Amino acid sequence: MTPASLRGWRLVHRWTSLICSANLLILCVTGLILVFHHEIQHLMGEDLDSSYTEGQARLPLQSLVDIAQKADPALVPKLLSFDPEDKAVNYIYLGQPEERGFDLGRWVVLNGFTGANQMLKQPEETLVGFLLKLHVDLFTGFAGQMFVGVMGLLFVVSTVSGLVVYGPFMKKLAFGILRFGRGTRIGNIDLHNLFGVATLVWAFVVGLTGAILSFSPLITGYWQKTELAAMTARHPEPMTGPAVSIDRVAAAGLAAFPGKDLAFIAYPGNEYAGSRHFSVVVRGHTELTQRLLSVALVDAETGVVAEAAGTPWYMTVLMLSGPFHFGDYGGLPLQIIWALFTIVTGVVTVTGFVVWLKRPRARSASDRNASGAKLGSKA
Amino acid sequence: MSGEGMSGVWRIPAALAVLSVIGLAAAILGDGLWDWLCWATLSVPLAACAVKLWRQWPGRPAA
Repeated sequence: MTPASLRGWRLVHRWTSLICSANLLILCVTGLILVFHHEIQHLMGEDLDSSYTEGQARLPLQSLVDIAQKADPALVPKLLSFDPEDKAVNYIYLGQPEERGFDLGRWVVLNGFTGANQMLKQPEETLVGFLLKLHVDLFTGFAGQMFVGVMGLLFVVSTVSGLVVYGPFMKKLAFGILRFGRGTRIGNIDLHNLFGVATLVWAFVVGLTGAILSFSPLITGYWQKTELAAMTARHPEPMTGPAVSIDRVAAAGLAAFPGKDLAFIAYPGNEYAGSRHFSVVVRGHTELTQRLLSVALVDAETGVVAEAAGTPWYMTVLMLSGPFHFGDYGGLPLQIIWALFTIVTGVVTVTGFVVWLKRPRARSASDRNASGAKLGSKA
Repeated sequence: MSGEGMSGVWRIPAALAVLSVIGLAAAILGDGLWDWLCWATLSVPLAACAVKLWRQWPGRPAA
C-alpha cells in the first residue's frame, strides 16, 4: 500500500468512526440489554400470555378474528400475523374499511389457544419497548430509523477501514500487545487494536445486518410495490360475493406449500394482497428455513390458490438479517456471547475515541519525526 | 511472530475471523451439535481478548 492510500484509509477510518460513535454507544448499551429482552420481559411481567395445555387444539382463526373485532367493531380485519417462536401468540391488525396501509388502525394480540386478549402497551410504557425505540429510531420515527441505518453503514465502513489500517500499524508489533505503561494514547491504541481486530467479523456482521434491518421499511416496500404488486395485478377480478372463511384460506395456502407454517395472512384490499385475493405468506420451521418466505394468492370467493411464488433474494437477506443481528438463534449461551461481543465493541468505540482525543497536536517537524512516526497516527 | 512481516501480522486475526464465520454460521444450520460448535468457536475471539488483557494488566509481573 502506498503511503498516500494508507493516509486515505486512516482518514476514512477516523471520520466514519467519529460520526457514528455517539450513536454506536447508544446502540451498544441498549443492544446489550435487548439481547436478553425475553428474560427481561419475563422478569418485568411484560411477556405475552402464551399459555396452553399440551394437546389443546388451536381456536379457529375465524373465531380469533371475531374476538379481535369485538375490541373495535368499527374496524375490519386486515392482517393476521403468527409468531414463529411462540405459536400461541397471534397478532391481528384491524384497520379502517377502506385503508390499504397500516397506519390508521390498531393491533390486537390474542392467545391462539384460549382467545385471551392481551392489551398491547405503548412502547414507552415498558422497559424493553423503551430501549427498543431508542435502539431502532431514537424516538424519532421513520427518519430516525433511516438515520440509525446510515450510522450502521458508517460503522461497517469503519470496521473495514480499521482492518486496512491495522496491518501496517502492527507490522513490528506482536498480536495482542498491550503497552499499558506507555501513556494513555498508546494503551488505548493497543486495546483498540486487539479488541477491534479480534471481534471484527462479529462487528461487521452485526453492523451490516443492523443497517439492513433499519432499511426494512424500504426493502419490504420495494417488494410490495414490485413483485407482489405484479403478482396481484395478474388477478384483478373484483369481489362480487361473500368471502370464504379465513380458515379455508389458510388451509388452501398451506396446501400450496406442504410442510410450511403460516407467517401472515393479508386480507383482500390491503397493500399486501389483491383486490379479491388473500395473500397467505408461509415459512419453514428450522432456524434457517423460518426466514425463507413464500406467498400464495388465495381467491377469497372460491378458496382456490390462484398463484404461488417464493420471495426475492433481498427479502431473504432481510429476513436472515434478524438472527445475525439479534443473536437469538443459538440459545442462552449465544445470547451471553452476543452480550460479551457487544461490551467489547463498546470498549473499541470508547478507546478509539480516546485515541482521537489524545492525538498528537500540530507540532514541529522534528517532534513528529521523533515520536509521531514511531506511534503511527492511528485514528 | 512479529518479525515475519505482513503474514505474521495477519495469522492470528485471520484465524479468529475464520472461527467467527464458522461460529456465526453454525447455529443457523442446525441445533444440538451445531449450537455447541457455534458457542465454542465464537468464544475463542472473546477468550483471546480476555487472556491478553489478563496477562498484561497493569501491575501484573511480566509473564
